Amino acid sequence: MYDDDRDALAAEYVLGTLSPDERDQAEAMLAIDPGFAEIVRVWERRLGELNVMVEAVEPPPDVWDKIRTEIGGDAPRSAIEPESSLPVEPAPQTAPDAAAEETPDMTPEVKSEPDLSSAPMLTLDDLAAPQDLHEPQDLDGPQHLDEPQDLDGPQDLDESSPVAALASSLLPPDGEPASQIPAAPDAAVSVTPRAKVERSADIVYLARDARRWRGYTAAIGAIAALLAIYIGIEQFAPALNPLGRMSQPVVASRTQPPGSRLVAVLQQEPTAPAFLLTVDPQNRTLTVRTVTASAGADRNYELWLISSKYTSPRSLGLVGGEQFTTRPIPADFDAETLRTASYAVSLEPAGGSPKGVPTGPILFTGKMVESLPGSPS
Amino acid sequence: MLMQTELVWLLGAVAKRDEAAFERLYEATRAKLYGVLLRILGRPALAEEVMQETYLKVWTMADQFDPAIASPITWMVAMARNRAIDIVRKRGDLSIEDEPEALEVASEAPPPLARREMTEELKRLLSCLGKLDPEKQRIVLLAYYSGWSRDQLAQKLDIPVNTIKTWLRRSLLEIRECMGN
Repeated sequence: MYDDDRDALAAEYVLGTLSPDERDQAEAMLAIDPGFAEIVRVWERRLGELNVMVEAVEPPPDVWDKIRTEIGGDAPRSAIEPESSLPVEPAPQTAPDAAAEETPDMTPEVKSEPDLSSAPMLTLDDLAAPQDLHEPQDLDGPQHLDEPQDLDGPQDLDESSPVAALASSLLPPDGEPASQIPAAPDAAVSVTPRAKVERSADIVYLARDARRWRGYTAAIGAIAALLAIYIGIEQFAPALNPLGRMSQPVVASRTQPPGSRLVAVLQQEPTAPAFLLTVDPQNRTLTVRTVTASAGADRNYELWLISSKYTSPRSLGLVGGEQFTTRPIPADFDAETLRTASYAVSLEPAGGSPKGVPTGPILFTGKMVESLPGSPS
Repeated sequence: MLMQTELVWLLGAVAKRDEAAFERLYEATRAKLYGVLLRILGRPALAEEVMQETYLKVWTMADQFDPAIASPITWMVAMARNRAIDIVRKRGDLSIEDEPEALEVASEAPPPLARREMTEELKRLLSCLGKLDPEKQRIVLLAYYSGWSRDQLAQKLDIPVNTIKTWLRRSLLEIRECMGN
């Protein structure tokens, strides 16, 4: 069941059908769980072949100009390996601004030429000789590489695969676009790349932070199980704190995406997350996704909040019965407490602890850690 | 025609900051990536943005590409798709009526499938997909090609969203079983 859940999450992540919350959680797992990352890669390979049937479309030529300009800054020519002996077609460019004029095949009329992009990228020959992939020096020149492939073989999709025909029918050239873009594309265009950069920066930072926390917790030995923490994604939004008691200074000008939330991965070992806990301070909901096996018929997992504000752990309810559980956060926990508390999962009798405090072993713990206020934007 | 071998080689050169190799890689892959992005994002301006993001990521992450576990084009398409899906999901699912009108791209008829490249892996995937019920085949393919969410699949195919959810999970696990590793 554990493997199926993880696999299904990874598969739907790759396919793209997860909800935003679930995507955040999958990305949290990707950042801390190499096993999950590997499963995602396998799914990317499994499903990725479907791209073969997508019609190639020439992008406008200025796309390359912009890419070229952007890499110009961090790619000084001196960094290029002198022994590099590409099967060169365009001569190496020396000035980024001259590049645009010197790439004649970037014009929109390129469709009339033999289109490299819609040519086969993967061949049966390649698959049969994977060792070649590691030995580029064996390639003896462009004429070898550019050898046209025989496409008249027996592998005609039309006859052999009704699925291919279905796929084809779902990909009409002028069919309805699968778009869900609202009518303000310009604003969106200018915002999204930056948001992605911020987010990547956070993840790098947080992955580092998770390691620090792990060591810290092991050192104090407060909990037997290994603690691993990951706080996902964007910062805790101070403006959304109903009590306005955020103690952390936050750069006011930083745009807070409306979906800011905290994510903690509750696990025993770095490679085996057990629960993913998401706290949405805006809507005051917490969501728990079970990633591991169930507790068993006569037991339940119970989620606890452990804070210095309270003398004993406070129950947040039973978890793990459903793959995905969302419930409101009890009103008496303010945002600061939610942010600073530890979270733990204990194994309790069916129905939960009869005493209001953990009675069974604490199996999984984790903690929300705030990302750096004013981290790179 | 560029073969996978050469794309792998180009990515290796890109990892060493070889701009000429990067340009060649771009030329060889741009139309495929743009086609994938346009289908999901709908708007050329947005697809162009994601093109830039994706290729910048390729430029910085080329050293992490491992030919043992991915082919260059699936690696790059996965990167581009993932970003496109992020964008459409984070913005929430709009109703079908809110979608922009027809797209002025890809107006030429696609070449017949028979002329397309068909790898062993694609054959295997298609034969496994073919074992699913036709409706399940449709939702998997529509999700992949169009980037539709469960809600959109439910709405457009007139199937309850919980059914979509169950079907997706089951179908993907069946595909896994069928394909092995």
